[in-house]
Amino acid sequence: MRTRRLTHAALGLVLLALVYGPSKSGRDVVLAQGGPITVLARDGRRTLPTIELQGHQMVGLDDLASLFQLQVREDAAARAITATYKSQTIVLTPEQALVSSSGRLVSLPAPLTRRNNRWLVPVEFISRALAPIYDVRLDLRPASRLLVVGDLRVPRVTAQYDDGPSLLRVTLETTPRATATVAQEQGRLLVRVDADALDAALPAPPPQQFLTGVRVVDPNTIQLDLGPRFSTFRASPPVSSGAAAVVTIELVGAAVDTSSANVPGAPVAPTAPVAPGSTGSPVAPIAPGTALPVFGGATRPTIRTIVIDPGHGGEESGVKGAGGALEKDVALAVARRLKGAIEGRLGMRVLLTREDGNRVDADGRAAIANNNKADLFISLHANGSPRPSLRGAVIYTLSLDRVGEDARRQSQADRAVLQVFGGGAREVGLVEWELAQAAHLDGSNAFAGIVDQKLRTTAGLPTVTLQRAPMRNLAGTNMPAVLIEMGYLSNAEEEKLLTSSEFQNGIALALTEAVAAFRDHVEQEPQPPAAP
Amino acid sequence: MKKKMPRGYGLYIGLAAMLVAGLITLLVLGPRWLATVPDEAQPISTPEAEARKIRARIFYVDEQGTGLQGVEQEVLFGEGTAEQARRIVEAQIAPAPEGRVSAIPAGTKLRTLFFTKAGEVYVDLSADVQTNHPGGSTNETLTVYALVSALTSNLPAATSVQILVDGKEVDTLAGHLDLRRPIEQDLKWVTN
Repeated sequence: MRTRRLTHAALGLVLLALVYGPSKSGRDVVLAQGGPITVLARDGRRTLPTIELQGHQMVGLDDLASLFQLQVREDAAARAITATYKSQTIVLTPEQALVSSSGRLVSLPAPLTRRNNRWLVPVEFISRALAPIYDVRLDLRPASRLLVVGDLRVPRVTAQYDDGPSLLRVTLETTPRATATVAQEQGRLLVRVDADALDAALPAPPPQQFLTGVRVVDPNTIQLDLGPRFSTFRASPPVSSGAAAVVTIELVGAAVDTSSANVPGAPVAPTAPVAPGSTGSPVAPIAPGTALPVFGGATRPTIRTIVIDPGHGGEESGVKGAGGALEKDVALAVARRLKGAIEGRLGMRVLLTREDGNRVDADGRAAIANNNKADLFISLHANGSPRPSLRGAVIYTLSLDRVGEDARRQSQADRAVLQVFGGGAREVGLVEWELAQAAHLDGSNAFAGIVDQKLRTTAGLPTVTLQRAPMRNLAGTNMPAVLIEMGYLSNAEEEKLLTSSEFQNGIALALTEAVAAFRDHVEQEPQPPAAP
Repeated sequence: MKKKMPRGYGLYIGLAAMLVAGLITLLVLGPRWLATVPDEAQPISTPEAEARKIRARIFYVDEQGTGLQGVEQEVLFGEGTAEQARRIVEAQIAPAPEGRVSAIPAGTKLRTLFFTKAGEVYVDLSADVQTNHPGGSTNETLTVYALVSALTSNLPAATSVQILVDGKEVDTLAGHLDLRRPIEQDLKWVTN
């Protein structure tokens, strides 16, 4: 019996050596090929290396084992790998994309693969197989390459800049809502967010002389590097915008009268210019409930940025009409016309998810909208049916299954604010990144109704249908979003229409009017109370 | 002088020759007979078993082209829920009968199928379901919900359907419907 145990132990050691002891050179090659995932936990940050394998982001089982205290064993006889956490086991099979997580079958986008003496699994293994058996929350955010371990508050932060002749307005949006303070010291402004860490997507500011850079300097602090034209600043208290809180900071030049910022009860900004390099004392925390007098309407809910998503692209052509028209080309042509119309008529910022024939994947499309804090997402497509006689437009919004309904309920729970020990408040509950749209369905359906009306009246389409379906491109968008099938390329007459300039302009005009009407709708909506 | 063979020896030689010929015949053809016996004994291959069928609803594109029409037809009997599910999917992906339009791309084959305890049916299809797909959200919706409806409406144990392609999870079939999670039954796509 003892001999048998020793044999098993020896075999185990050999297997562990195989699993945990890859050659150093091979491991370095692997690390160099993929961008790491940052793992945020109570006890600090770590990195989880990734490698791209046949289009999938993979991570090493050995790395996961050391990060999450997994016991990984290779059962040569059963041709299986087991990863055990406490009393629960995940069973993986080489070259198989299905794993058993504590008895529940889970599908992965790529199989368990052996490379350089290491077992690799797709990153989705973490959220689908590991998270269900782990005893603390694991929140994988693929777009920002973050893995949040435990109940940390890691709001997503985006920035937008509005450049004026005598000031620069910086709008920071945190989702879910979080309070923040702004302080000036030594040629910089520090925005401290009430969070454990930040999931920040901060684009570089446009060329100007108020602000030279924006970056995260501490786990919860954003630093604004001030430029030579900066004289003073004004900061608004956080204002609620749906599930997000918006903080507006105005960097003002010396020539502007800043007296209007001295509002009683609004200790948000110094009123005297602070010379670059001087040591200013931190400003008191932003008081809630006060609006800026100069730009009082700036943080009111409205539509400032729109992302238009021309469907398909690259090798993915979409529907091909009998006359040769391709869906991807029709969608891009209308998207370009719509961008011009909205920018020209409404003066809004418009971005396309693809500017040319290249393909962008669904997460990439949602990331463009989310990272640019778009207020509206419009995906343009052309339809296909087995019945060539079928014609008309279809407007889709996202439908939710049971998981989605849970996410929606959770997003509504996010609006609850809890008082915490030591004073202050924090919001609890997070919507899964993959189901961000769940929190915006009311807005999406309202916009879809307006589009329906405008396509009938302005574009003169006789048949328009509203539908709800589990649309992949809409699921991850964190703003009102619709997918519009403008007509059927499988119908010969509609194929001709869809490729004509007149029809495309008509659609663009109808959608521009719909955007304007939706902006009015959003601005007239009663505003939810601001987070304390 | 030649010794005369005793009378009756010719009969013995003839019998011996027949015995040898019989043994050779048995050695050459015997294995074939032996091999065929067990097959014939298997009840599953009897004509009666092969002909056993059930009635099930299979879903085709409706007249308008925007929904699915359930048509009751005969489907091969399958032993157990998973085997019956397989037979139903095979009927669903088969070419449509005269006068019907299939929502499943031509050439699509069923690779494997299995049930989870939670009632999720994993349907692993060949890549033809993507490569031969004509595209468009209407087409894609009908393809997905034809499979989902065929399984969930005929098998009470089936609660949702996860479509795999060539053994792997896919985002979508043609760029629209989210297939990252099992799809639940949605009767709004069925018009009868």
